[in-house]
Amino acid sequence: MAGQTDMELIKNGIRKDGRKPDELREIKIVAGVLDNADGSCYLEWGNNKVYAGVFGPMECHPRHKQKADRAIVQARYTMAPFSVNDRKRPGLDRRSTEISYIVSQAFEKVVMVEDFPKASIRVDMQVVEAHAGTRCAALTAASVALADAGIPMIDMIPSCASGKINDVVVLDLNKEEDNYGQADLPLAIIPSTGEVVLLQLDGHLTPDEFELAMDLATSGCMDLYKKMRDALENSYGGKK
Amino acid sequence: MSNDSVSNLMKGHMESLAKEGKRADGRGINEYRKVTIETGMLNTAEGSSMVHLGKTKVLCGIKMLIGTPYGDSPGSGTMTTSTELAPLADQSFDPGPPREQSIELSRVVDRGIRESRMIDFDGLCIEHGAKVWMVYIDLHILDNDGNLFDCCTLAAAAALSNATIPNVQHGIADEDVKLPINCWPISCTFGKLGDSVILDATSDEEGVMTARFTVAHDENGNLRAAQKGMNGAFTDAEIREAVKTARASDSVLRDALKGIQ
Amino acid sequence: MSGESSVTSNRKLVLPGDLIETKSKPGKGIFRSEGRIHSSVVGYSSDKSGYINVNAITGRYNPKVGDKIIAVCAETGPSIWRMNIGSSFNSTLHHSESGWKVPFGDTARFLSIGDAIWAEVSMVDASGSHQISLKKDDCRKLYSGNIIKINPTNVPRIIGKQGSMISLIRDNTKTRIQIGQNGYIWIDGKGDDIALAQEAMETIDREATSEGLTKKIEKLLEK
Repeated sequence: MAGQTDMELIKNGIRKDGRKPDELREIKIVAGVLDNADGSCYLEWGNNKVYAGVFGPMECHPRHKQKADRAIVQARYTMAPFSVNDRKRPGLDRRSTEISYIVSQAFEKVVMVEDFPKASIRVDMQVVEAHAGTRCAALTAASVALADAGIPMIDMIPSCASGKINDVVVLDLNKEEDNYGQADLPLAIIPSTGEVVLLQLDGHLTPDEFELAMDLATSGCMDLYKKMRDALENSYGGKK
Repeated sequence: MSNDSVSNLMKGHMESLAKEGKRADGRGINEYRKVTIETGMLNTAEGSSMVHLGKTKVLCGIKMLIGTPYGDSPGSGTMTTSTELAPLADQSFDPGPPREQSIELSRVVDRGIRESRMIDFDGLCIEHGAKVWMVYIDLHILDNDGNLFDCCTLAAAAALSNATIPNVQHGIADEDVKLPINCWPISCTFGKLGDSVILDATSDEEGVMTARFTVAHDENGNLRAAQKGMNGAFTDAEIREAVKTARASDSVLRDALKGIQ
Repeated sequence: MSGESSVTSNRKLVLPGDLIETKSKPGKGIFRSEGRIHSSVVGYSSDKSGYINVNAITGRYNPKVGDKIIAVCAETGPSIWRMNIGSSFNSTLHHSESGWKVPFGDTARFLSIGDAIWAEVSMVDASGSHQISLKKDDCRKLYSGNIIKINPTNVPRIIGKQGSMISLIRDNTKTRIQIGQNGYIWIDGKGDDIALAQEAMETIDREATSEGLTKKIEKLLEK
C-alpha cells in the first residue's frame, strides 16, 4: 500500500475502470475443467486467472502429518513465473507460504474432516495471471473445486476484498487501486452462518471505515456465492 | 481418476492390441490424439499459449527481461526453459523442489528449441557485451494424461511464435516488435510397449511402457535433438523406424502450429 | 442469509449447505445443524423409506458392505494384501478371506502387485477402514481381458433400467462384462470387441446426463 498519493483513483463516485464503489470486477467461474484432479475449477476475476485442483480424501503423506481422528487439508497457493509483469521465480516464497497456511485454516472450518480419519485433502491453487485480489480468487476457486470433488462440507467459502482509495471505501480493488490505495481488506465468509473464516487488513481505516469495508466485502462475498453456485449447476445440469 | 495402479490385465490388453497396430482408445500406433492450441491469453506475459493434447493440458508463458550476456557470447541473448509439474495436474506430483522428471523434461524441450535455432539470439542483443534480452520459457503443466514432452515443446513453440519484445516497457525503443522466429521444431515421443512401439502415449500407456524416445525435427526434415529415457531399451531398428515415423506423423502438430499464425 | 435453498422434492440438484425440508431420518451426504438437515455434497436428494440421503454426483468410491467390486493389488504383506479399490484408502484382503491356503509370507505367489480380482466388500468399520473377501458367490482372480475405470456414480447408468444398457453392450460386442460398484469394470473377449465395449461405456460415463444417450450407444455399437 503506497498510502496517500496524488493519484486520482476515483472521481465523482466513478473509479478509473468505470466501476462504482460497490461493484465487483467481471467474474467467470467454470467447474470441472481438469480430467485428472478429483475436483477442479477455473476462475477469471477481472484480469486474474486462477486454476484450482483437489485430490482426496486420500492417504496422508507425509505420514507424520496424519491425524488419528480426522483428515487434514493441505492447501498450496503459488503464482506462475509469468503471472506478473516482473517475472517471479518459481516455487513458494514467504507470501505464498502465508497464504497457503491461512487458506488451509479456512477450509478446515467447513470441510467435514472428522469423516476421514488419517486422510489428507490436497488443494492446489495456481495463479497464472495476477491483477490484485489473487488470494480471494484462489480461495473462491478452491471452494468450487472442493465441491466439484465431492468433498463433504457445511458450505462453500466465497472470498472478496474491500479497500480504501482516495478516502473512499470501495469493493474489490484492481491492481492500480491496490498499488496506490490506502487499505486492503480480504475477507472470506461461510454464507449460511455469516461466520468469518479469513480476514486480513493492510493499511489505514478509521473504525467507521472498517465497519463499511466489512459490509461491502460481505455483500461482495454473497454476490460471488451466487456465481459459484451457478458454476456448479451449469456443470451438473440439474438433470436426471 | 487416479492412475496409481495400472493392472497387469491392462498391460496384457495393451500389448496384444499394439501387436495389431491398435491402441486401447481406438487410435493407431502412430496416431496423435486431438490437438488444440490457443495463444495470447495472458496479459502479463510477453507471449503465451495453451495446448491440449488429448486430455494433457500445458500452459506456457514467455517472459523477456533485460540482462547481461554470457562471457563467451557477448552479442547474444539468452534462453532458459523451466517446467512446473503443478500438483493439481497429477496425484503423484508432490509439491517441492524440481525432481529429475521435471528437469529432464525442461532440458529436452529446451534442446529441441535451442538446437533448431528457432530464436535468433544475435537479434536479441541490445548493447554488445552489456545488455541483451533474456527469454524465459515457463511451462506450467495443468493436467497430465501422458506425453508431456510433445505437449510442452508444442506449447513453447506456440508461445514463442506469439511473443513480442517489450521495448516500450523497458525504454529500449518506441515500439514493441514480434520476437523473430527462424523455424519450427516439433518433437515426437515414442514408447516401447511389449514388442511394439507407440506414438503419443497416454498416462495409462506410460504406466505400462518400458522405454521412451523423443526426437525433434525442423520443418526441413532434419533432426535437431533426441533423447532416450526410462530404464528399458529399443532395438537399433526400432529407433531408425521411429525417426522415419516422426517425419511422417509430425505434420499434424505442424499444421496445428501453422493454424495459429 | 441467502444460499439456503429449500428442497422438498426429489431430483433437484443440491449444493453443500443447502437446507432440506424433511421429516425423515438422516442418511448419507447430509449433516445436521440446529435441528435442521442440510446437504454436505453436490448431488440429488432422495427421501425414501423414512431416510433422507443426498447421492453425491462426484467423489471417490465409498465402500458399502455387500458391494461387488474389482480390486487391484497395490502391496503384499506376510498374511494380507492391500488392494486399490478407488476409494480414499486401500482395502485389506486377509489371507483367511482369500479361499486359498496361503503359507505365511507367501502371499505374492497367489496375488501379486498389479493382479486384479472380482471381490465383495465384507467389512467397513467406524473409522472408515474396510476389508474385502474372495470367498463369496462368484468372486475370483481375473486372468484375461481389460479393466477400465469410470465415475462410480455413473454405474447405474451403465447398467440401465433392469440391465437394459449393459445387455445391449454385451450382446453387441459378445463380451463378458462385470461391473464393480466402485466404477472399475472388467471386460473380456476379443481385442476389438473389448475396445468397442470400452468405448461405449466411456461414452456413457462422459455423457451420463445427456438426452438421447441410448440411441447414441445403439448407433455406436452397430459398427
